[in-house]
Amino acid sequence: MNRTPKMINSKVAGYSSLITFSILLIAWLAGFSSRLFAVIRFESIIHEFDPWFNYRATAYMVQHGWYKFLNWFDERAWYPLGRIVGGTVYPGLMITSGGIHYLLHVLNIPVHIRDICVFLAPVFSGLTSISTYLLTKELWSSGAGLFAASFIAIVPGYISRSVAGSYDNEGIAIFALQFTYFLWVRSVKTGSVFWSAGAAISYFYMVSAWGGYVFIINLIPLHVFVLLIMGRYSPRLLTSYSTFYILGLLFSMQIPFVGFQPIRTSEHMAALGVFVLLMAVATLRHLQSVLSRHEFRKLFFVGALLVGVTVFVAVVLLTMFGVVAPWSGRFYSLWDTGYAKIHIPIIASVSEHQPTTWFSFFFDLHILVCAFPVGVWYCIKQINDERVFVVLYAISAVYFAGVMVRLMLTLTPVVCMLAGVAFSGLLDVFLQEDSSKRMGSAMNAVTETDDQEDSIERKTLYDKAGKLKHRTKPDSPQDNGISSNLKSIVILAVLMLLMMFAVHCTWVTSNAYSSPSIVLAFHNSQDGSRNILDDFREAYYWLSQNTADDARIMSWWDYGYQIAGMANRTTLVDNNTWNNSHIALVGKAMSSTEEKSYEIMTSLDVDYVLVIFGGVIGYSGDDINKFLWMVRIAEGEHPKDIKESDYFTDRGEFRVDAEGAPALLNCLMYKLSYYRFGELKLDYRGPSGYDRTRNAVIGNKDFDLTYLEEAYTTEHWLVRIYRVKKPFEFNRPSLKGTERVFPPTNFISRKNSKRRKGYIRNRPVVVKGKRTLK
Amino acid sequence: MFKILYIYFLILQCFLCASKTNAEIINTNVERLLDLSSQLVKTTIKITAEETTGKPITEYVFLVADPNLAFISLKDDTEKNILLRKNKEDLNGDQTFTFTFKKASPTQTFVIETVSSKNIRPHPVEIEQNDKQLVKYNGSLYFYSKYKTRTQKTNVKLSSSNILFHTQQKPFSVGANRIILGPYEDIEALSQQELVVHYENQTPFLTVNTLERTIELSHWGNIAVKEEIQLTHAGAKLKGSFSRYDFQKEGRSDHSAVKSYKTYLPASASGVYYRDTNGNISTSNMNLVRDFIELELRPRFPLFGGWKTKYTLGYNVPSYEYMYNDGNKYQLKMHLIDHIYDNMVIDEAVIKIILPEGSTQIKFSTPYQISRRPNELVHTYLDTIGRPVVTFSKSNLVESHIADFTLNYSFEKVSLLQEPLLVSAFIYVIFLFTIVFLRLDFSITSHSHKE
Repeated sequence: MNRTPKMINSKVAGYSSLITFSILLIAWLAGFSSRLFAVIRFESIIHEFDPWFNYRATAYMVQHGWYKFLNWFDERAWYPLGRIVGGTVYPGLMITSGGIHYLLHVLNIPVHIRDICVFLAPVFSGLTSISTYLLTKELWSSGAGLFAASFIAIVPGYISRSVAGSYDNEGIAIFALQFTYFLWVRSVKTGSVFWSAGAAISYFYMVSAWGGYVFIINLIPLHVFVLLIMGRYSPRLLTSYSTFYILGLLFSMQIPFVGFQPIRTSEHMAALGVFVLLMAVATLRHLQSVLSRHEFRKLFFVGALLVGVTVFVAVVLLTMFGVVAPWSGRFYSLWDTGYAKIHIPIIASVSEHQPTTWFSFFFDLHILVCAFPVGVWYCIKQINDERVFVVLYAISAVYFAGVMVRLMLTLTPVVCMLAGVAFSGLLDVFLQEDSSKRMGSAMNAVTETDDQEDSIERKTLYDKAGKLKHRTKPDSPQDNGISSNLKSIVILAVLMLLMMFAVHCTWVTSNAYSSPSIVLAFHNSQDGSRNILDDFREAYYWLSQNTADDARIMSWWDYGYQIAGMANRTTLVDNNTWNNSHIALVGKAMSSTEEKSYEIMTSLDVDYVLVIFGGVIGYSGDDINKFLWMVRIAEGEHPKDIKESDYFTDRGEFRVDAEGAPALLNCLMYKLSYYRFGELKLDYRGPSGYDRTRNAVIGNKDFDLTYLEEAYTTEHWLVRIYRVKKPFEFNRPSLKGTERVFPPTNFISRKNSKRRKGYIRNRPVVVKGKRTLK
Repeated sequence: MFKILYIYFLILQCFLCASKTNAEIINTNVERLLDLSSQLVKTTIKITAEETTGKPITEYVFLVADPNLAFISLKDDTEKNILLRKNKEDLNGDQTFTFTFKKASPTQTFVIETVSSKNIRPHPVEIEQNDKQLVKYNGSLYFYSKYKTRTQKTNVKLSSSNILFHTQQKPFSVGANRIILGPYEDIEALSQQELVVHYENQTPFLTVNTLERTIELSHWGNIAVKEEIQLTHAGAKLKGSFSRYDFQKEGRSDHSAVKSYKTYLPASASGVYYRDTNGNISTSNMNLVRDFIELELRPRFPLFGGWKTKYTLGYNVPSYEYMYNDGNKYQLKMHLIDHIYDNMVIDEAVIKIILPEGSTQIKFSTPYQISRRPNELVHTYLDTIGRPVVTFSKSNLVESHIADFTLNYSFEKVSLLQEPLLVSAFIYVIFLFTIVFLRLDFSITSHSHKE
């Protein structure tokens, strides 16, 4: 892309495109293979919770076809409500893997859809790094682009959402995000309808893939808005934004789940406002060229006032009449971090919706988090239209990442890009002139490092080659002041840092992000062997094989998708937490006494109850530890029946031992978790009923279940399944005489003193009660 | 054929007026061994038959009243197992087997072995987790025959000495794990009396409901075998709740619940996998025992009465052990079904043999009757015209059915090269396309790209 004489250009272009190609290929391969830890350690399996739904939906689409999928009403979820899946899902992910599956099967390659789903995210990580390269190249230079591409290939912040098996929207959405931004920047630069239409199409793909498309539809208008404020209006901007906005709007409305939201909800109003503003500015510019100065000023004031008032009134009215929906809860929680905790406990209960800790910035981004401000500085210093964009991108992404751990994901690409810019800028300074010898020595010094390092080396080489041409136009002869020794020391230090980055990334990926979470592994401390805890699949498979096909299973919503995916049974609530009151009802059933929850369970036709109990093996993510959230959510909907304070001791502690609150020790969740646990001795010396997760001997040991019976418990007691008895199956608990209540009778004898035939004194009264079954 | 029918008819007539005619075959001595120690009923009957008039016996008709008969074979003086084929006609609803002796002689001694499944039923049908599994066998006390039997004795072998009840027809004696009934003298032809034994039997009552065995043949030296198995514990159903605590506390091995079982694979099997729809089942062990591989399979959960599970077991074997060729003619000899667990019962087996693409003139023979299904075509990696699939099914199989089938087909060796050529051509075309695309300018406008 350098404007250099043609002769040299063609020769250099040959080498540089080869180097670019090979580095991108290596980045792709490195990114792909570092995401395979879970597959190699365990197997090709779908991870965690949401991916199970995506997998199930994809499998359904592959089996039944696209139109059936669009119309899919899933009666196996949210019993008895059901869920309209086709209209409540971002179908991009399913279409992508379904399309790949279709293509492979047309070519007679019988790959199972599960394997496609497992490997989709790692494959797309390669595409992400290519689009990051393209975007960074547009913003800065191709050298910086190669840095950015290599960074994003292995950075943990992105790997956390795209390891093999983590089949989630984010896996493909980050690619779509980066690619849309690339096309947008390209279109702003060129002002060509072609690129902005491309951006709109890519935006369409993004809309179909992830709810995070709102980030695009707010960031791009913000970019345009800031450009307008900075007085950087140009016809190119007008062309690209108007094309992008109109096409993007129309495209995004094609996704059933999005529907009319782009013109009706507040999240999308900024884009519309900027569009109107841009049109106004364009009109004014035009009028300015037509009218005289005096006339124009008059028109401007009157017009601006009028337009401002009209827009304001219109927005207020539309919101009042409910045409434009106000901001949704999740978006409020982006502005006010305390909002969710107070109003929507269900959002707050998800750990990935918590604010980010400082530690996790370093953990996920390592050295990049330090280099990234440097990149921002470079961009601000040499600002132009597209660098305004990346600065805005950086600032907004940093804010969002600080609010929610989950949005670390949107920060990661921009950090990679700007760190690429920073490193590229650094090497620009320190790899000049006499660098050919130095490079050679540097290469020799680090020959024994891995591929990753190798690619970085080549990057620097390429970067230098590209830069030399660039420098012709130039800024400052600062290189004179730096001694060659200093240069080599700096280069070595930078290489060292990059090497440590690569090591850190691999370490984090291997240790933190490569657990499928449905198969647990632990190392035996005595003989060092690796044991596998497969209790989840044991339980789900038991459900799938040994319960009736239409059995309804009540569990906390975390396990809904897994039950549907692995056990193929009807669930009451699942991870698509669209109906808070239904979840609250399940929470209420879990936190009430057995008797009261039996009423709820029979009213919901529950056949089985599934709880996760980690007390035997010390698994901390079990239902007792999540129990307070159930109570809180239940309290939100049923404040009369459930009170959070009842579950704490007088001193405000949540404990399961003998001092625990009586409401806790008698609630259904407690009983189901600890049924017959009181008899179990985990080791010879310890007391029986010792809970390893909470390090306490349980308080309520000796109890029996009346309304439920144990149906299955897995080998390590991790998953416990209970069958809800039918009303005729159990002995109702007998009431003490004093507790019996007889309904008052309204019977008045018709017999009067005349018609009375006989009369027995002290006649024994027959009390109608319920007969107990024997 | 006609002749046999005719003779058969004659015999039938003879039987109808049995009391009048006296030129008759009689069973002089019958010794039965009834093995009820597993879920199968294995019967070994040693018969000595005699022609009363002294004429040589050429034919003998054997009757089986049991509809669950899975397997029957005959052991002659030649000490060779002969599989018997069922006659087309039933006699009063009984299955008949006619066999012809090689040596005609007035007295014949031979042994018939039968195996039948599902004749031992749990009684009571439902038990609790810690109860012992009791079963009831209903059979016939006398040797059921078309001919009169002079003297007979039945030896019943059981799995435990805990016998609750058995038919008290004198004379009989009861030993440890064993009941001897008889000898009974002069039992008329076709006489039936019920034999009931109610006893404790804790052996696994596993039934394979469906087995789908796929054998995929590759001329590159590999045979891939895949078995999809649906398994049920057909013993006494679990009543009431399951308790993990009790199950762990006990650790008894003679429990009727099935924790694991052993499958034997060919010694050369490699790349064994054991999985279900949720992925790999991480609980299995593989041991190489001298001439086979012992695979200890643990289902994801212990199988209690009435519980089901389903899994896929697959492995590869080198093809040189099973494939023979003569020029373009190939022959495949492999087990029709293979061992799944000891004393197995398979309700329905479907076997598919996928031949290499381009195989023709397929001829197929099996040691026993099967029902052949129409051939299919499958397309897998790099296939163009599809691979022919030989499919057949058989119901009610037991271990004795593990036997080789023979499949002959012809295959042109040149077609082996088709697939590598296809791949190379494809890659070549891609490269060519890239080269052409990069060298030529397809732009419709003349201006160059600007930054």
